Amino acid sequence: MRFTILLAACLAATAAAQDKVAVGVVTSLTGPMAPPGKFQMNGFNLAAEEINGAGGIDVGGRKYLVELKVYDTRANPAEGASAMQRLTTVDKVPVVLGELHSGVAAAEAPVAQDYGVPLILTVPTGPNLTEQGNRFLFRVNASNDQLNLALADFVAGQGWAPLSFIAWNNDAGRGGVNGMKKLIGEAKTGYVGYFNVGDVDFSSHVSNIRAANARAVMLFMDEEPGSLAIKQIRDAGLKTQLIGTLAMGSDRFLKRLDAARLEGMVQYNAFPPNANTPRIRAFSERYKKKFGEEAHGFAAQSYDGLMLAAAAMRKAGTVTDGKALREALASLEHDGVIGRIKFDAKGQAHPPVYVTQWCANGTRRILYPEAFKADCGAG
Amino acid sequence: MAQALLEQVINGLMTGSVYVLVALGMVLIYGVMHVLNFAHGVLFMLGGYVCHFFFTRVTGSYVLSLLLSMVVLALVGLAVERGVFRPLQGNLRNQVIASLGLILAIENLVVALWGPNALQLRVASTETLVALGELRFPAHHLMIIGITAVCVALMFGFLKWSKLGTAIRATSQDRNAAMVVGIPVEKVDMATFCLGTALAALGGALVGPLFLVFPQMGDAPMVKGLAGILLGGMGSVPGAVVGGLIIGVTESVSTLFLPTDYRDSVAFAVMVLILLGRPQGLFGVRVRGEA
Amino acid sequence: MTRFAAPAALLAVLYFAPALSGPYLLHVLVLCYLYAIPAVGLNLMLGYTGLVSLGHIAFAGIGGYTAAVLMVDARLGYWSALAVAVAAAGAAGAAIGLVCLRFRSHFFMIVTLAFGLMLYSVMNNWDDVTRGAAGFPGIPRPPAFTTLESFYRLALTGALAAFAVQWLVVRSDFGRILIALRQDERLAEAKGVNATLYKTAVFALGSALAGLGGALQVSFLRVAAPASFNLAESINAVLIVIVGGAGSLAGPALGALLFVGLPEYLRVAAEWRLVVFGALLVLITLFAPRGIAGVIDDGWRRLARRGR
Repeated sequence: MRFTILLAACLAATAAAQDKVAVGVVTSLTGPMAPPGKFQMNGFNLAAEEINGAGGIDVGGRKYLVELKVYDTRANPAEGASAMQRLTTVDKVPVVLGELHSGVAAAEAPVAQDYGVPLILTVPTGPNLTEQGNRFLFRVNASNDQLNLALADFVAGQGWAPLSFIAWNNDAGRGGVNGMKKLIGEAKTGYVGYFNVGDVDFSSHVSNIRAANARAVMLFMDEEPGSLAIKQIRDAGLKTQLIGTLAMGSDRFLKRLDAARLEGMVQYNAFPPNANTPRIRAFSERYKKKFGEEAHGFAAQSYDGLMLAAAAMRKAGTVTDGKALREALASLEHDGVIGRIKFDAKGQAHPPVYVTQWCANGTRRILYPEAFKADCGAG
Repeated sequence: MAQALLEQVINGLMTGSVYVLVALGMVLIYGVMHVLNFAHGVLFMLGGYVCHFFFTRVTGSYVLSLLLSMVVLALVGLAVERGVFRPLQGNLRNQVIASLGLILAIENLVVALWGPNALQLRVASTETLVALGELRFPAHHLMIIGITAVCVALMFGFLKWSKLGTAIRATSQDRNAAMVVGIPVEKVDMATFCLGTALAALGGALVGPLFLVFPQMGDAPMVKGLAGILLGGMGSVPGAVVGGLIIGVTESVSTLFLPTDYRDSVAFAVMVLILLGRPQGLFGVRVRGEA
Repeated sequence: MTRFAAPAALLAVLYFAPALSGPYLLHVLVLCYLYAIPAVGLNLMLGYTGLVSLGHIAFAGIGGYTAAVLMVDARLGYWSALAVAVAAAGAAGAAIGLVCLRFRSHFFMIVTLAFGLMLYSVMNNWDDVTRGAAGFPGIPRPPAFTTLESFYRLALTGALAAFAVQWLVVRSDFGRILIALRQDERLAEAKGVNATLYKTAVFALGSALAGLGGALQVSFLRVAAPASFNLAESINAVLIVIVGGAGSLAGPALGALLFVGLPEYLRVAAEWRLVVFGALLVLITLFAPRGIAGVIDDGWRRLARRGR
């Protein structure tokens, strides 16, 4: 948030006469979802800075600086709807980006449709968001269904069964578990345990996993509870194979534990920061330079979201017409940090989903997809 | 199966001990001032943050940071008692509102100052493991159980044999009679609130290294501590201890049989069921008009 | 006659608001109306009867999800589904109320809180029916009220209906008995009042009103999510009633306006908005214990005294 204020102040000071376009952002600045919200904002801020550093978005011969209008929705649907209402009818932004929580996105999407302003989601994974026939809703990140498909594919290949789960008791956790269960089948599903966001005690889950003799445990949660869960699992002497979400593939996560405890933990990853692909390498370097830490998948997805919006503005030749932007987004093909972004008929992009693994020396290797396989240090 | 049960019982004793620390503070305050302090959870959380601050910025000693955080929070408790709860004495509804306002203000203040991310307290006792047969627990788990037991024992001794402790007991039994006998009840109020807050801070500082320090860390312990007091009997110190432990153990053991999503509900369901049969709680005294 | 001039003028302005103001203000007002409806129910329970329920909004959730399932899965007509939803919330209120009412004061509060948490768990975990934590999208608005402007009128009408119910109850014998129960239950019982019956009745009525608010809200937002009906929202409802002025007719309206309007107004302040809000609450309890309605009342009195 301070970045945005600073950014806005700098812009105001140096570009008094310059044209600006306000882009709406909905996210969690406070409340329990604030930590992932910060990564999301980092992505938007980095993209905005780069766009403005290059003089702004070139539309119809004029250059427009990007100004982020950020509202806190606190994982509450009513707040999401009113933030969206304010963005579209008071701030009159041509496009809105972000959101973390699927339930809130579900309240924001109809408002986007009502006022003809595209909403580009960069983090929520609820599959039924894109099933509502809303032409103004787009999603850059992979949905739970897509993530699970990749992981199930990989897990089947490894023969890890029975698979146990510990998951957040929210849309991301429950959706993830339900999706995976459908893909691998009840027979291969072991213990399923949920915990509430903010819960920190995994001892009951650990006992149950031990009792169920799980071959592998999948953790559907963010890095903070993830680090706790893994610590408790290892402290209890369980040596099961660990599988995690993209949050558990970051160096920041590693700092909370050490690689030896992870013992070859794998995770699906939208964004392996050290992969040798140039687009990923370049982004990681810029991110590290600005924020002093390793890039996070949410940041990469959000960065791509804003860049995509800028590309759509260029293509449609407008910074005010939401409907024209919608048409541009629907037909655009954009090379983002996370891969090639092209929305299907439902507004869903299909970015590659990786599976990475922790090596004992604290680096990662990429195990899947075959085409991207890479060794320790390049993941 | 027996092993899983033992594991869960020990886990339950650990989480229960944390609830006991919260419950003890709340029950003392309630007994003396008839104030139900919902803000106890954020004080617990502040204890964790202050301990983290001292541990990372001032002294590398966990024990010292823990003690310092108790002192600081006792002072905060003093401020809260004089500024907020004393003026509102007797008005239950407004006390509840004020508590809720405090929760909102303090939780979000912490986010504004420290950021929303969880902080880590790297302490030796969380890294060392203790083996009990085939089961393994971090030493810190057992330390929490031990320290709480010592605190409870000290509390009982303090209440029974010390002058202030007796004054506290007298004031909670009958405030008017205590005044008649010459006990400075206002000073007792202050002392009790400080003591209660210090206990909450201890809880937060103990839990911090194990479960990270974050703004919402006090919410669940507060609610569970509250359930513990109700179960044990409002105003009863042994009740708070037993109630807190029962809630902790029941929660943990229930996960062996029931889906873990409903873990929180189980604790409450048990509380409601017991209260239906015995409305004054396990150790409480039935007061006409209260239940 | 002049007593009604001011409220009538206000009503006229509100009804014609769609023509006078932009969509954002309308949206915020709709939320105010929809938050006021459960607040009226809670006011009857808390303000007039003295029952402090910390799980009130869970019943709004029952109304909301019942409406959702009936409208989307069972394809029942909008108004029938709404009616059933309100009835379901009321029935749940009667049943759960009976259990909670076996306790008093602090105990009652905690038991209602416990039930609120349990109901929330069900909403969040029962994926097959409620669609779980990701929310239940695709909830329709009534056929004649799909636009913001028309839904605004519906919400206003709903809120007015709730306030009308409140007014009728407070003026009636039923209402007088409730107030008597709050003031001195033992005395009322000595005079032959069946306290449990009346308290359960108001619990049921309050829950039904909550259900109405919940059903209309999920229809407005077009999604039903557990996050809309959690503990924080129940506590919000208590604050709305008390800060607005518990036991006063206008209290829920004033409280809803403050609690929905002020955070929206403070959107500029981001992280600090809630710190300010919390501090305000503490100050209000210390310096304005009868809530906003009390402040206004005191203001009138002072003016009246000056005039003499």
